[in-house]
Amino acid sequence: MPLVKIIVRRVLLGLLTLLLVSVLVFAATQTLPGDTARAILGKSATPATLKAMRQELGLDRPAIVQYGSWLGGVVRGNLGESLAAKAPVTRVIGTRVRNSAVLVLVAALISIPLSILIGSLSGLFRDRPFDSTTSLGTLGLAALPEFVIGILLIGLLATQVFHWFPAVSVVQPNVPFTDQLNILILPAATLVLATSPYIVRILRASMIEVLESEYVQMARLKGMPEKTVLRRHALPNAIIPTIQVIALNLAWLAGGVVVVEYVFNYPGIGLGLIDAINNRDVPEIQAIVLLIAALYVGFNLLADILTILVSPRLRTGLQ
Amino acid sequence: MSPDELVPAGGPPLSDLDLGPDEDLAEPLEPQLGRGGDMAPASAKRRRREWVQLLFDALHYRRTQIGLALCLFIVVMAAFGPLFAPHSPYAFVTAPFAKPSATAPLGGDVIGRDVLSRVLYGGRSVLILAILATALGMAMGVSLGLAAGYARQTVDDVIMRLLDVLLAFPQIVFVLLLVSVLGPRLWLIVLTVGLSHAPRIARVARGATLEVKERDFVKAAESLGLSRVRIAFTEILPNITSPLLVEFGLRLTYSIGLIAALSFMGFGMQPPACDWGLMINENRIGILVQPYSIFVPVALIAILTIGVNLATDGLSHAMIGLERDTGVS
Amino acid sequence: MSDQEGKEGFDLSQVDRLINEHRFTRRNLLQGALAAGAFAALGPVLSACGSSSGGTSSSGSPTAAGAPKKGGAIKSAIGGGSAKDTLDGQIPTSETQIGTQWQVYDALMDWDQNHKLVMTLADSYEPNKDGSVWTVKLKPGLTFHNGKSVTADDVIFSYKRILNPKTAAPGASTLSMLKPSGMKKIDDLTVQFTLESPSVIFYEALAYYPNAIVPEGYNPQGMTGAIGTGPWIPTNFQPGQQVEFKANPNYWGTGPYADTLTMYEIADPSAKLNALLGGTVDHMTLLDSSQVSAVKAATGMNVLQAKTGGWWPFTMRMDQKPFTDARVRQAFRLIVDRNQMIEQALGSYGWVGNDMYAPYDPGYPTDLPQRAADIAQAKSLLKQAGYDNDLTVTLTTSTAVSAAAPNMAQVFAQQAKAAGVTVNVDKVDPSVFYGNNYLKWTFAQDFWATRNYLPQVQVGTAPNAPWNECHWKNAQWWSIVSQALKTVDDTARAALIKQASTIEYQQGAYIIPAFNVLLDAYSSKIAGLQPDTWGANSACRCRYNLMSLV
Repeated sequence: MPLVKIIVRRVLLGLLTLLLVSVLVFAATQTLPGDTARAILGKSATPATLKAMRQELGLDRPAIVQYGSWLGGVVRGNLGESLAAKAPVTRVIGTRVRNSAVLVLVAALISIPLSILIGSLSGLFRDRPFDSTTSLGTLGLAALPEFVIGILLIGLLATQVFHWFPAVSVVQPNVPFTDQLNILILPAATLVLATSPYIVRILRASMIEVLESEYVQMARLKGMPEKTVLRRHALPNAIIPTIQVIALNLAWLAGGVVVVEYVFNYPGIGLGLIDAINNRDVPEIQAIVLLIAALYVGFNLLADILTILVSPRLRTGLQ
Repeated sequence: MSPDELVPAGGPPLSDLDLGPDEDLAEPLEPQLGRGGDMAPASAKRRRREWVQLLFDALHYRRTQIGLALCLFIVVMAAFGPLFAPHSPYAFVTAPFAKPSATAPLGGDVIGRDVLSRVLYGGRSVLILAILATALGMAMGVSLGLAAGYARQTVDDVIMRLLDVLLAFPQIVFVLLLVSVLGPRLWLIVLTVGLSHAPRIARVARGATLEVKERDFVKAAESLGLSRVRIAFTEILPNITSPLLVEFGLRLTYSIGLIAALSFMGFGMQPPACDWGLMINENRIGILVQPYSIFVPVALIAILTIGVNLATDGLSHAMIGLERDTGVS
Repeated sequence: MSDQEGKEGFDLSQVDRLINEHRFTRRNLLQGALAAGAFAALGPVLSACGSSSGGTSSSGSPTAAGAPKKGGAIKSAIGGGSAKDTLDGQIPTSETQIGTQWQVYDALMDWDQNHKLVMTLADSYEPNKDGSVWTVKLKPGLTFHNGKSVTADDVIFSYKRILNPKTAAPGASTLSMLKPSGMKKIDDLTVQFTLESPSVIFYEALAYYPNAIVPEGYNPQGMTGAIGTGPWIPTNFQPGQQVEFKANPNYWGTGPYADTLTMYEIADPSAKLNALLGGTVDHMTLLDSSQVSAVKAATGMNVLQAKTGGWWPFTMRMDQKPFTDARVRQAFRLIVDRNQMIEQALGSYGWVGNDMYAPYDPGYPTDLPQRAADIAQAKSLLKQAGYDNDLTVTLTTSTAVSAAAPNMAQVFAQQAKAAGVTVNVDKVDPSVFYGNNYLKWTFAQDFWATRNYLPQVQVGTAPNAPWNECHWKNAQWWSIVSQALKTVDDTARAALIKQASTIEYQQGAYIIPAFNVLLDAYSSKIAGLQPDTWGANSACRCRYNLMSLV
């Protein structure tokens, strides 16, 4: 089936991209000036200590060989050993991945329905006060850097105006995660505010168009109650294009967690990346960047595929 | 443009807007000097004023006016702020995190320097770095997009494939990756932020190029035997300025956010430099005692980004307006 | 290929643009089958996190009226550790490891809150006339956490382990005059130390906390085998994150009153404070001066203040340029405006130092002029050394030294400008600062607790000291110090110490602008905290065994 062919092809392209990404990540961290050995030894690197360190890390092998062995390890699930923790990277970032996943999931679960609601209402009450306010709001929010949103939320809800939430996430490792969900709230709220504007706007545009479509006019002419028209015809059709945007949002979140987790000291992979960079822990940097890139590519791919799946023209329109 | 085609993420063919309402139709059709003697000089002249037209139209919108006003406010503060600073931004004038007083109207920062002075000095780095990075990204992205859109298919494929690799990284992750290896150098930040913009800009430029390259005057120039590079820069480029202008505004907003975030996380400007992003982080420990030291720079960054975004929004509305006027779908 | 795709890959920003330009149409993006949207009106989840709904007084006295209540859990936030930390009682290095070490282990003797020597595991010690033989008697009936009795064999084993180069124990340098063969078991509770060369201050080594007494065969792997005599027994060890303990029911000393103790390792000072204010912990160490008003403003929170002999020096490596030249070192010392340093970087929590350590030592030269900033002299010295407004150095700092250290670094950098010296402050992460390059930084900082002069020398400035950041070497000085180590008479020894200290005053490689006033913060739920002159890690020296829940 041509559809399958397109999808498979996209996936393969995605994998190829990821392969090139891995080359770039590896090249950047291993072979540029300022290599791992020097990064570890720092200013006090002497030729002798550098040589010893390079041997220990296997850096004296040709770059291709190093890359090959690293990639081979990655594919087999061995992401190397963290320099800071002297433990396998997978173990070190395991909990962090879980924490970020929970954060992103919570943010998505809140932002998607919320934005759909606001977006469709904006479209429905187009140009009325609700719509104008939301328009301004989304424009403003879309402009603000995530850390600004985060700090403003801290000021509003944790430190200056209200004191409802902790300003910084302190995870107690022995307490079940489910008992300390309050640390999720502000970081999740920041992510929601950062990503919702896009969904709201696209849903609004989509809604406007749907409401003007012949299909809906027809339904109204047929005498269908407005509520039914909205619920059964307008809204579902309006939502479809947002699916792609939602997938794109998830892709953005893969990178968005970096800054947001830093603001709140939330122990996810974003903060893990910052820590790894500060610790000059090259294997961990490589692993996390590769993971984030894979997620980013993956969700973008998902967006592509979803678009194709719901668009018959695209399905048939191949050259 | 066929309505059934998927819209490329680029601009409409603006050369069709030659006959805008403000056009001076009485203008004589003279050959344009310095343009290589191409044909259709009148449209060239009219085309050259398109983006000017765009700017003028955009100014009619309230949001552009507000946006530009906000930007202007910040730019003026960043540029001339230091002239009004009551103290040196590095001098110790009061106790750490002191409340506002006559000596320090916005209070003291983490080690007792004047917050007001530091705020007045602190906008330059964000602005300059952001503008440089965006300009660099535009230069790279537009060149690559033009090349991809106008060159042979294989060149197009190769360029876009390579750019896809860059696109695989969220912008901040890409920048952090390189900064983590080479350290927080300013030139590196400008370069990496610019690089991270390039593929996204290239896509826009490419899409717009694909539209424009089918136009008559381009075909005409081709038939004259002009080099493709020249055609790209003298015929196509002037006709894709509008979407690129909008793209510039959008990218600038992101640049500001990125660079401020980098300084905030410690990968950008280093202490004791005055930088709004850096100030926010180094004073965070005193958030309960001296909120001005944090929230004033936060507010300024917010105003700047919102201003740029509003202005950009106005620009893109104007672009649609121009389209509508000329009946382009 | 890209043409076929038609749709250019989207960026959120570009979707946004499309919306703006009204060029977005559902037709040109997709046309779909009916798909039920996940429509659920879901408001943001708002559950108010209980902030500390305060106790009674904001600055109550630390000790509870009446006997301390037993039971409960103490939760404390200490500084950031590292995943490489261990529970080995004889190899503590980072602030966090030291804090955990104190809970699990004891040395033969210790220092109390007022820097007085106290007996812990030892019952008594007796030097011979010239300080070459020391006889130590253990208290009877002491047991390790595993129930085994503490005997002379354990003491000898512990000291042998410290002396073993493979252990890399920091205490070894305090025992340089002891050979493994120099220890003899007199009886089950008595050990005799025969020193190669007499050391009149050998008791300092016996009281040095890394010289912990461990059971024979001690070989800890993680938490397994981490057995000591201390008030707390580890139950959960997550290096870099937290350590949990339960009370040692057979502890020889006071307390513990609570049942369990959890030490959370939180590097970020804001996070630490938040942990306290939010109720996650009831005590935090090393409050930053900027956080004091926040604590005082919160209900049910208190600040514990301790004047100490602890110090955070700037360290200059005298074996590297430009600090090979003593004039440069002196110039740098003259750059510092000490009062300004205390006010701006320490928030006034400190007292002025004079570039010499061990302020409580009887031999501390109190009659030397208090050094103050003298930029003119500094410039002149630099010029003599060949630098004319063109000296640039990098100052490596980290919050691992203390939360105030990076601020001190910035203040110094600013003050140095006046002397034409450019100081580039390089703030690095804790694990980098105390990583492979520790003790190799050319110009950096460090933290030290209160010590008398000779024991400080043994760990910081002696030729074989484990933490000689400045790579200090001075033959004349060392001969005086070696002499002092053998001088039995207190007065004579003090005079020698004064001489040695004066040499460091004149040529040393430390800049010591101030001594620390340490701050802890705690909630009114906790009683029993007492200010301690210890001078590092905590204002109360993490004496959790004295703490009880109110």
